[in-house]
Amino acid sequence: MLTQAWKSFLRTRVGRSVFRVGLPSTNLERAQAAISSFFLHLQPAKVNRRVVEFRTTLGLGLISLYLFLILVGTGVLLMFYYVPATEHAYQNMKDLEFVVTAGQVLRNMHRWAAHMMVLFVALHLCRVFYTGAYKPPREFNWVVGVMLFLLTLALSFTGYLLPWDQLAYWAITVGTSIAGYAPLIGQKLKFLFLGGHVVGQSALIRFYVLHVIVLPLAAILFIAVHLWRVRKDGGLARPHEPQVTSENLSTAQLPLTKTYGLMELARGSTPAVGIDPEDEIFTWPNLAFRELLLFLATLAVLLILAICWNAPLEQIANPVHPPNPAKAPWYFLGLQELVAYSAFWGGVVVPGLLVTALVALPYADRKRQGIGVWFSRERKVALTIFTLCLVVAVVLTVIGTAFRGPNWSFQWPWKPVPVHETGTP
Amino acid sequence: MASEPDKLQRRQFLTLSLGWCSAIFALGASLAAAGRFLVPNVLYEPSRRFKALKPEDYSEGPTFLPNLRVFLFRKGNSFRAVSAVCTHLGCTVNLSGNGFHCPCHGSVFDQGGAVRSGPAPAPLTWFELTLSRDGHLVIDTSLAVNPDKYLVV
Repeated sequence: MLTQAWKSFLRTRVGRSVFRVGLPSTNLERAQAAISSFFLHLQPAKVNRRVVEFRTTLGLGLISLYLFLILVGTGVLLMFYYVPATEHAYQNMKDLEFVVTAGQVLRNMHRWAAHMMVLFVALHLCRVFYTGAYKPPREFNWVVGVMLFLLTLALSFTGYLLPWDQLAYWAITVGTSIAGYAPLIGQKLKFLFLGGHVVGQSALIRFYVLHVIVLPLAAILFIAVHLWRVRKDGGLARPHEPQVTSENLSTAQLPLTKTYGLMELARGSTPAVGIDPEDEIFTWPNLAFRELLLFLATLAVLLILAICWNAPLEQIANPVHPPNPAKAPWYFLGLQELVAYSAFWGGVVVPGLLVTALVALPYADRKRQGIGVWFSRERKVALTIFTLCLVVAVVLTVIGTAFRGPNWSFQWPWKPVPVHETGTP
Repeated sequence: MASEPDKLQRRQFLTLSLGWCSAIFALGASLAAAGRFLVPNVLYEPSRRFKALKPEDYSEGPTFLPNLRVFLFRKGNSFRAVSAVCTHLGCTVNLSGNGFHCPCHGSVFDQGGAVRSGPAPAPLTWFELTLSRDGHLVIDTSLAVNPDKYLVV
C-alpha cells in the first residue's frame, strides 16, 4: 500500500520535480540516482566491491560522521533551553532533567554521542593506520583527519564546562591550567581562554561560543574537505590501485583512477554488459542502503544508552572545593596521569610531540607497501611503533580512569572508595 | 625600444606591490583588531584586593577565606596569608596534618607552602598582608611576597 502510494507520488509532477529519477529500475537510472541527488552525489555512481564489505572500514568513519550529525541535532535542541550564564546554566540542566519533556534523554544522547564520537574518531584513526590507508596519495587527507580528531576533542572539552557543575568546573580549571604551562605565551593564552584570571562568567560564554558555533563550523569545513578528498584520492585505499599524483590528475589521464565504468551504461547490448573490469557495484542501492542501516544502528545504540544511563550531573560548581579526586574527561585522563608526574611534560611536551608525530606520519613513512591491507607484514616497524604508543595511551587512560582514587593515589577499582573526603578540618 | 618592457615591469611591480601590501595590511589589521577584541579590558571578577576582619577577630591557627582561596594563619600577633591555589594546575589545596594537600594530582606542601612531594613546580604563594587605616587586615592576591614575611600587629 505504502509502496504503491510512494510510487504514484513519484509519478506526479511534484514527485518528478523533487526526485527526477524516481525509484531506479535500470543501471542507467541507478547511476543517475547517485549522480543527480545532492546527498548521494557525495559518492560516485559506482564503487569498488570492497567499499561495502564491512571488514574494509568497519564503518568507523561513517559512524563518526553520524554521531556528529546527531550531536548537531541534539545540540541545537538543547540550545533552546540553555542559557550560558553562571546563575542559570546549572538550573537549566536541572530543568532538562525534571521539567522538560524528553529533556533528560536528549541531554543523555548528546553526552553519550560526544563520548562515542571521541572513541569512534580514535578507532577510525587506528583503522586508517592499520590498513596503511594514509600512504600516498592520501597523505593530506590523513592530516585533515588528525585535525578533525583534535577538533573533536576541542568540541567535547568546550562542551564539558557548560553544565556548570563540579565536574565541569574543575575539569576546565585543570585543563586551562595545562595551557598555562605552554612556554612564553602560556599565561596569556590561559587568560585569553578564560577571559579573566579564574573560571567564571566570561569563561562560560567563551566556551559556549566556541562550542556551539566556532568549532562546529570548523568541523563541518574539515569534514567537507575530508570527504571530498576521499573521492579525489581515488576512493577507499585498496591494494594495487592506480595512483593519483599531481602528474596524472589532469582529466586526460583520469581513466586510470576512474571509479565507475561508463561502458556499461553506453553499450548495453555488447557481450561485456555487467562485466566490470574493476569489480565495481552501483552505489544505489548497494552502498546507500548499507549506509542507512548503519545510521539506524548508530541511532538505536545511542537511544538505548541514553534511555538506560543518565549523563552525570554533580553538584553546582563550587570554586572553593574541588571534588576528590578531580578528574578530567576520560579521554584526557591519560594526559592527566602524565600531568600528575609533571605538568610541563605531561601537559605540553608529550601531547605536542604526539600531534606532531601524527601529522608527520604519512610524510615520514615512505614505504609504499601494505596499502589497503590490514596489518600488512611489510610494515612491521611502523605497526610495532604505533601499537606501542597506542598501548601506552590506553594503559595510562585506564589507570587514570579506574585506578586513581582520592588525592590521585593508586587504588584498586574494586576497593570501596571513601566518599566525600575533603581533608579540611 | 629596450626600455619599453622595463617601464611596463616597473609599473607592474608598483601595482603588484601596492596591491599586495594593501591586502596584507587590511587582512593583518583586521585579524589584529579581532585578536585584541578578544582580550577583555574590564574584568567583572571579585576584586583581588580584599579587606578582611580585624586581626583580633581571627582565632589562633588557620582560617580559610573561601572567596579568595587563601589560608590566613595567626600565630600570636603575627599573620601570614598563604594561597590555597595549587601551583600545579589550580585546584584548591586542603589542610592536612601540618601542611597542605592537593586533591587533584596529589601534591603535598609543608606548613610554609614549600613543595614536599608531588608534581607542583613551585611553593604556594604568600600574599601581601597589610593593615588598613581603620585596623582591618587587607589581603592583596595580586601581590606575592617572600615566604618569610609576616605581618606583626
